[in-house]
Amino acid sequence: MMVELLAQTGLNAIYAASYISLIAVGLVLIFGVMGVINFAHGELYMAGAYAVVALYADLGFPFLVAIAAGLVFVGMLGLAMERALFRPLRDNPLGGLVASIGFLMVLQALAVMGFGVRMEHVPPVTQEVIVFSDKVRLAVPRLYVILAALVLLSALWLFLKKTRFGWALRASAQDPEAAALQGISITQTARIAMFIGAGLAGIAGALTAPLVSVNPHMGHSVIVTAFIVIIVGGVGSLEGAVVASVAYAFVHTFVTTFWDGVIADIVGLSLMLVVLIVRPTGLFGTADRA
Amino acid sequence: MLLEVRGAAVNYGKVSAIREISMNVPDGGIVTIIGGNGAGKTTTLRAISGLEPLTAGKIHFAGERIDGLAPDRIVARGIAHVPEGRRIFPELTVEENLRTGAFLRRDQASVEADLETTYLRFPRLSERRRQMAKTMSGGEQQMLAIGRALMARPKLLLMDEPSMGLAPIIVEEIAGIIEEISQDGVPVVLVEQNAELALGLADYAYVFETGSLAMEGPSRELHDNDHVRAAYLGI
Repeated sequence: MMVELLAQTGLNAIYAASYISLIAVGLVLIFGVMGVINFAHGELYMAGAYAVVALYADLGFPFLVAIAAGLVFVGMLGLAMERALFRPLRDNPLGGLVASIGFLMVLQALAVMGFGVRMEHVPPVTQEVIVFSDKVRLAVPRLYVILAALVLLSALWLFLKKTRFGWALRASAQDPEAAALQGISITQTARIAMFIGAGLAGIAGALTAPLVSVNPHMGHSVIVTAFIVIIVGGVGSLEGAVVASVAYAFVHTFVTTFWDGVIADIVGLSLMLVVLIVRPTGLFGTADRA
Repeated sequence: MLLEVRGAAVNYGKVSAIREISMNVPDGGIVTIIGGNGAGKTTTLRAISGLEPLTAGKIHFAGERIDGLAPDRIVARGIAHVPEGRRIFPELTVEENLRTGAFLRRDQASVEADLETTYLRFPRLSERRRQMAKTMSGGEQQMLAIGRALMARPKLLLMDEPSMGLAPIIVEEIAGIIEEISQDGVPVVLVEQNAELALGLADYAYVFETGSLAMEGPSRELHDNDHVRAAYLGI
């Protein structure tokens, strides 16, 4: 049945949109507040997945504990990056970018040293499947990813709009110097952005660990997707990142289902080119922030 | 003296922006710095706020040394700065902009009260409180920048070219506001290219030329000085 195939593909797309937006929003937040493109973001996602491999698959801790530990561990990695790489290179965005590429390689090497290059098998958290109809099903672990994205991104939105530190973060993204003149510590907002941004990537990796093949190089594919998404959404725009994640996930998933995965990658990149030609600042970007 | 600058120098790379700058700001009234483009007026304010590191000299505020502190720590000591070009947060609402000014304050109740006072002082900000700051006119943005700085309840207010790019009628309004602020007991350091305006408002004036202090004195005396009249007042 065509309708069932469309419904199932739609569910797959919602799942993909959920973890892509968790990764892309973190990347945008870090870029917005610190002005650096974090090339190691895919490896933070990978680190989150390995936290689940180590704690849940190998040591047998409950999945939720492994997820929480993954969030905190990768958030701490973010704080370490801020302190060791981005703070000394604050006036040098290109230097920050190069340093993040170096850090990416370090994290990959550490993963290889600790776990080897083979794919890790993470046992499924639950075998439960929500059956909508014979051909429309949603595995419960995928539902967790969707729910986590909804809850975490809503919480981030409330934090940014309703709290004092949220305003401070937005103010320093818009004009760091003017923010400093209001008594906002740029170092503090950088730390908050880095912890949240890295933590979101970590939790995306942790939640999807049982659903994907965990290996030291798994960051590559997600970082390419995340870059496409933030360019389409408008670099610096959190709303844009979410909207573009959903749009990209739907296009990519539908093209993969009805044609194939390589064509879907080509279509995704072509869409980015079209957006760049028609609206160089991205869908939600403004000229002065891009 | 509330603020004392002693022999301050700032370099941009190898280029000297200011050198041997010394000035005093008493705890009350308006002090102005006038001078042409590139005279070092803005650099001096930025140095006081900690945005530019000193390469020589010292700055004391309320008896304590503040040069070398991070900008947010200097705000915490009580110095607010209305920067050149206003630098409001374009994609925050008017009210959010004002609240960022009170970022370091913990007295939530009096922050709310000060917000209402600000709206009384600037009725046009009150009408636009939920509007994005970038949608406002230049004059309104300047008032927002001033309102934001006052939300910090500063002990000293630094203002960099508040008249820049504004229509004469708005400039007059801003001048009235600066006088009011000073009368309310907040000392002001006013940097201006509009020397006529600045000397009219200030009690004491410093004249900067190419990074150095050229002259200083009570505003009234400088206003009658031949060099100042020829160079800055176009008389």
